[in-house]
Amino acid sequence: MAFDIQGTSLSWSSPQAARQLVFLLLVMGAVLTPSSPSDIPSSSSTMHNNNWAVLVCTSRFWFNYRHMANTLSLYRTVKRLGIPDERIILMLADDMACNARNTYPAQVFNNENHQLNLYGDNVEVDYRGYEVTVENFLRVLIGRHESAVPRSKRLLSDEGSHVLLYMSGHGGDEFLKFQDSEELQSHDLSDVVKQMKEKHRFKELLIMVDTCQAATLFSQLHSPGVLAIGSSMKGQNAYSHHLDSDIGVSVVDRFTFYTLAFFEKLNMYSNASLGSLFNSYNPNLLMSTAFCRMDLYQRPLHEVPVTNFFGSVMKTIHTESSYKLVSSAPGVESSHDLHSVGADRLTLEAEADVVKQIDSPEKRAVKIKRKKFDQQSLGDGNGHQQTKSNKSLVKVIKGREDAEASPFSKALLTRKLFTFSKISLIMELFGGKFFRTTCMIL
Amino acid sequence: MAEIRWFWPLVVLALAFRLLLVPFADSLKLGSRPEVATPLTSLRRLAEGYWLKQSSLSPYAGSMYHGSPLLLTMLGPITMKRIQGQPTHLFCSFIFVFVDFLTAMLIRAIGQKLVLKNCKSLKLLDLSKLIESFVCLDAGGVASLIYLWNPFTIVSCVGSCTSPVENFMVVIAIYGACSRIAPLAAFGWVMATHFSLYPVILLIPVILLLGYGPDAPPSKLFLHKNPSATRSSIRIFSWKPVVYFTIWAAIWSCYILLLISIFLKGFDGLSEMLKKTHGFILKVEDLSPNIGVLWYFFAEVFDFFRAFFLILFHVNILFMVLPLAIRLMHRPCFLAFVYITISSMLKSYPSVGDAALYLGLLGLFVNELAEMKFSFFLFCGYIGVSLLSPVMHNLWIWRGTGNANFYFATGLGYACLQTVLVVESVSKMLNYDRILRKQLHTA
Amino acid sequence: MAELRRRFSTFVSVFIIFFFFFFVFFSAIVLPTLASVGDLVELEEEFTEELLLKPLPDRKVLAHFHFEILAPPSPVNGRHHHLFPKAIAQLVHKFQIRELELSFTQGRWNYERWGGSDPLSMANAKPPGVELWATFHRPESEIDHTWKNLTHALSGLFCSSINFLESSTAFSAPHWGFQPNSSVLRYGALPREAVCTENLTPWLKLLPCRDRAGVALLLNRPSIYRGHYHSQKLRLISSKLTGVKLEQTLTIVLHPSVERYGLDSFSDGSTQPSWSLNSLFKQQLMGKCALAKDSRVLFELEHDLASQIDETESDYTWRNAAFELSTMPDRVARVMKSLPNQDSSVLYGFEVSKSSDSMPMDVGIKWKLPLIWSSSHAPVYASRFLMGSGNERGSIAITFQSSHLDEWLSTGSDGCAVHAVVFQVVPWYVKVYYHTLNIFMDGKRQTISDVVKRMKISPSEDKLSPGTMELMLEFPCDMQSATLTLDFDKGFLHVDEYPPDANQGFDIPSALITYPDCYSSRSYQTVDTSHFKSSLLPKFKEGNLVQSYTEVLLVPLTTPDFSMPYNVITFTCTILALYFGSMLNVLRRRVGEEERLSKSKASERRGLIPLLLLKLSSKLRGKRPETMQHSSPLPSSSSFFGPKLFIKVVLVAVLAIFWNYYLKDS
Repeated sequence: MAFDIQGTSLSWSSPQAARQLVFLLLVMGAVLTPSSPSDIPSSSSTMHNNNWAVLVCTSRFWFNYRHMANTLSLYRTVKRLGIPDERIILMLADDMACNARNTYPAQVFNNENHQLNLYGDNVEVDYRGYEVTVENFLRVLIGRHESAVPRSKRLLSDEGSHVLLYMSGHGGDEFLKFQDSEELQSHDLSDVVKQMKEKHRFKELLIMVDTCQAATLFSQLHSPGVLAIGSSMKGQNAYSHHLDSDIGVSVVDRFTFYTLAFFEKLNMYSNASLGSLFNSYNPNLLMSTAFCRMDLYQRPLHEVPVTNFFGSVMKTIHTESSYKLVSSAPGVESSHDLHSVGADRLTLEAEADVVKQIDSPEKRAVKIKRKKFDQQSLGDGNGHQQTKSNKSLVKVIKGREDAEASPFSKALLTRKLFTFSKISLIMELFGGKFFRTTCMIL
Repeated sequence: MAEIRWFWPLVVLALAFRLLLVPFADSLKLGSRPEVATPLTSLRRLAEGYWLKQSSLSPYAGSMYHGSPLLLTMLGPITMKRIQGQPTHLFCSFIFVFVDFLTAMLIRAIGQKLVLKNCKSLKLLDLSKLIESFVCLDAGGVASLIYLWNPFTIVSCVGSCTSPVENFMVVIAIYGACSRIAPLAAFGWVMATHFSLYPVILLIPVILLLGYGPDAPPSKLFLHKNPSATRSSIRIFSWKPVVYFTIWAAIWSCYILLLISIFLKGFDGLSEMLKKTHGFILKVEDLSPNIGVLWYFFAEVFDFFRAFFLILFHVNILFMVLPLAIRLMHRPCFLAFVYITISSMLKSYPSVGDAALYLGLLGLFVNELAEMKFSFFLFCGYIGVSLLSPVMHNLWIWRGTGNANFYFATGLGYACLQTVLVVESVSKMLNYDRILRKQLHTA
Repeated sequence: MAELRRRFSTFVSVFIIFFFFFFVFFSAIVLPTLASVGDLVELEEEFTEELLLKPLPDRKVLAHFHFEILAPPSPVNGRHHHLFPKAIAQLVHKFQIRELELSFTQGRWNYERWGGSDPLSMANAKPPGVELWATFHRPESEIDHTWKNLTHALSGLFCSSINFLESSTAFSAPHWGFQPNSSVLRYGALPREAVCTENLTPWLKLLPCRDRAGVALLLNRPSIYRGHYHSQKLRLISSKLTGVKLEQTLTIVLHPSVERYGLDSFSDGSTQPSWSLNSLFKQQLMGKCALAKDSRVLFELEHDLASQIDETESDYTWRNAAFELSTMPDRVARVMKSLPNQDSSVLYGFEVSKSSDSMPMDVGIKWKLPLIWSSSHAPVYASRFLMGSGNERGSIAITFQSSHLDEWLSTGSDGCAVHAVVFQVVPWYVKVYYHTLNIFMDGKRQTISDVVKRMKISPSEDKLSPGTMELMLEFPCDMQSATLTLDFDKGFLHVDEYPPDANQGFDIPSALITYPDCYSSRSYQTVDTSHFKSSLLPKFKEGNLVQSYTEVLLVPLTTPDFSMPYNVITFTCTILALYFGSMLNVLRRRVGEEERLSKSKASERRGLIPLLLLKLSSKLRGKRPETMQHSSPLPSSSSFFGPKLFIKVVLVAVLAIFWNYYLKDS
């Protein structure tokens, strides 16, 4: 595993790697063709139905306090705008809050008027310290983990999800440093995005980078549906905004500071557009020109509300196409493999949703999706299962979830779901039997 | 042939000098010098292995000991007994001094055999003035003195490490082959191979020695001298000793394996032993610094190239074996010397003990290599490296002011020196044959 | 026929759908009621929360939060819980955990000042960083695999990089050194792991009320992490009979900021600082957690302190000559004197249920007399340090300082000897020479066999497993101090194996010293007849071993030059090429020589290559050279073109193939 990741991260440009890629494409194509086009919603046809955020602070050591502050303020913003914690992957390369040098233990500020404690009372850091490596970063994006890696550390997005990728750290011409020991090259980034696209891991992707010469990091991108914005052009530095004399280091970078300034005015129902966000960057204030690469992005920016990436939407997709498929053999199989994995918490929840809306066609929809999905995941990679079932999960939860998914409500939800899981098992058992009998009869 | 004046006094003096140094072995901390004791030969690790065995664990449990079980049985008990206020490995050091003495004596014997053979063959070619040049110098004595007085030897003898024993085994093999004692040669060869894998390539020179006898000018010279020579006068390959050798080698190796398996009874036994000794040599697992270059190379090289470079480096030793054998077939002793030099240059965990051996053997060919090029440069080079490398090591490890690269640089320099030495000696030896031929033609 | 089939199929499908909905109905209505019925017969899940406060001799305050959830085994409920956290239940179920303890700690417990032998500190003093150990209901073969999955799951649950314990170099399987009789136990520790809010948050989410109500309401993050020592622990005990028990404890040592109490006349330097919950935590305690069976604040006075208060002839009402509590306690209890020469400590109990939003409970103390006391002693104080300089080798030393051994002698066993079990795990790059184990007692060197009663050593395998040492030492009672030293070499790692901040050095996790003879137990009895039904105090009663963790050691290792790989590769390969090339050159120099010879000899007219070829062939055939003298030049010349052409052709072909491939690739 480590090796092929190496392969991807090191050089796609080398010919055999390219050949691999082609092969990969072919395999995926081969796997996908048998199922009819109605089954596989292409990323263009699927509607946007969930939001994910990957927030990365790549630099270690106390004097890089501001990078962590940047990332945490973004974290707070997207949480405020409605992306729940389990759909945010937060990577912090060092522990600043409880750092011995921090005069405010368990607190992180991005402003010298210490109004707002970014660390808050319930922050959930998914990757921290030595875990924040290029390899782990790539794994998260591509979704190829060891089987043991827990769900909270995976990016379980699907072809309907908008993904926000924010990175802050020290960068240079076409690279971004991780912990002063490794580098993420622009090639790696583009290759990863390409793979994500092929695996239907996002519908639209917004990459936001706050480093020196951030624009160069996007130079290799070529996958559709990707929008990239960086704090500075090639040859420019990204500067910090101001220094906090109590903490002793500068606490926020200019680009992030003004991004936040833009978002502070918004709540999750306001529909300011991305265009307005990009226009809000004033080169004189930033002391660097923010660069936005939008040639890969189809929709006009002034029509896209920022909450498409920085917030979360609560809609459920209604797939009746799968409804009539239910009494056929595939439906049966799917129901079996559904409760064969019953021990796993994840599927339990999935089933739970299934039962939750027993009267709607959702249940079958989910089943068929799952089965389809298994077909896909023959191709490569693990963790697709989760992706799908999570999608169905998301569909249900979204209906119920209040905006800032408080842990309390989350837990309540899971408890409720739990009661249903058992029932769903029994029911599907019987359902399965009946389907089998019908099949025998017919 | 003239005996060297003051030979025996010098020998005794050398031994006395060693015995004088032994009590200060600990304060000199020679045992833990990276140049002296490698993971394979360190006596400290041997003691650890023996201790583990005493506490009913496998001596190879934990990657501490990588030597032979036989050494463990021989030296282990001695490492345990200590006298208050005396260095820890006092008795072992005494043993090593004795072993050094034996080695020197054997080298002397080899040298004398070589000289006799040379004189005989030169008489056969009646090149009188060359014979005179021979008469003036007793190669064996010179070689043994070089071996005894070589600071490398002294250091590796006093600084507790088992390389003297390994050298001894190699010398036994050559001596046995020279004097055509098949069992002895077989024993030496098997033991040396068992101790440190590399002497396995000595098989070729040993067989040549047994077959043709010690070094002589190329046979076609004799033919050129008297074309009407019968087969008897030309050296012919005699199969009998070789067959004996193979049989004895088989016997010895079986015997040793038997001993080992008895010794390691209750543990994983032979497979583990091979994994931990020869396996440890082949895939360079221990990256602690030594005077070689491989440790730093494998500490830095990317993991997915590691296997490739491992193969490359080990094959590099084997590459030269055949060409040299073809080219130097008529001088098996010299061939052995070249092999030893090459292997001690390219081996995984080199130490000054190896240098001690091949420098000693170099003395055997003092007549042939009399006018060697770069000899002064080499001399200064060796001195320079042996002074610089401790300094660099100290700066890097102890002071923390230096950097790994400096120490590695001395390693590189040392490798260069050895390269020059081996290449020059080979070319000189070939030249020597040419000179003989020339004089034959002129005569 | 087809008609009939279609009919039949439609009928069947209708039947199915009908039956389907019937099932849904059935399951939706009936099953929950069944479950509720089951709950009535079953034992209920219990949740209790308690907070124990204790003034420490060095003007600090110990606050010990203790939450306990008990899930009785309930076949009817299946995997459905009221109070018990679902995530934990799933862990237990999936990994078949028998017992598990996970602790996040920052700061080091001060055994001299804060108590070296009382049950509370024994149970809650933990090594800095993360410590995890677990035993499973699994066969020996599966355990390592289970452990690896468990570490990943926990790392996801507690936002911590516990998954680093997955690698076999990180965890060990102690036999008897860590726990007296541990059959299948895995132990791992991460000394450098940072502990902060993100670890506390998920820990709190396991509680039924989180930090929204009850005692946990006090947990204000900044005031916790400003403390001198905080250790958050999670302990699981699961068995078929008693069900699953989850203990969550949080032990904090705080320095009371001098507050409104401090302003009055009593607080000159000598008196202890007065404090209250409010001043410690900057939070109000308003009402209990509604789901908790009982919720209580305890306030304990050390026995030494209590004895001094006895001397002031003041009784144990809540306001006496020595001090004054801010709130009227509901109960007062004293320790039953376990040891004759020991004074008994005092315990005040407060029911949180009496407080409310309008009337928050603010337990506090106001000192009137300057009192100086000392906390409970350990039989022996152990500490560990490194010796030697430089980055090549060093040695680990563990020292034992006896203190008040006589106190323990009555408990101490046969022939007046104190036993101490040392359990120490060292990572593989610290290569310990176990044969250099030396023990000095009162400065005199002892023979190992006299002191070491029992020894289990599993030496470290490079890049495979850490080295584990379990020793049982026996000291005579009159021993004042003993030292145990071990030499080690420092290993050299591959470049990739160094962390990003390699120059900071590497940590050796702290060793655990256990005193198997010495048990610390306390049983309280109330002064008035009504007795506590607390979940915390029984834990003190059951005797737990006296033990102490030593310091974490920081070992600096030499680093290679991280920027060198290409240079090193090129240099080394150059040397090899030099050797190889020059040697080959020397070996083939003969040719030129031959040529000169042949030129000098006017007798023979022969090209260079045929000569070589002839020699070669003669060599191969083992012929005598003179025969080749007579061989005619013709065959040689014919054989002179053949190979040359052949070689050329091969060369061209190889080139062509190479180019072909190369172009294809690029």
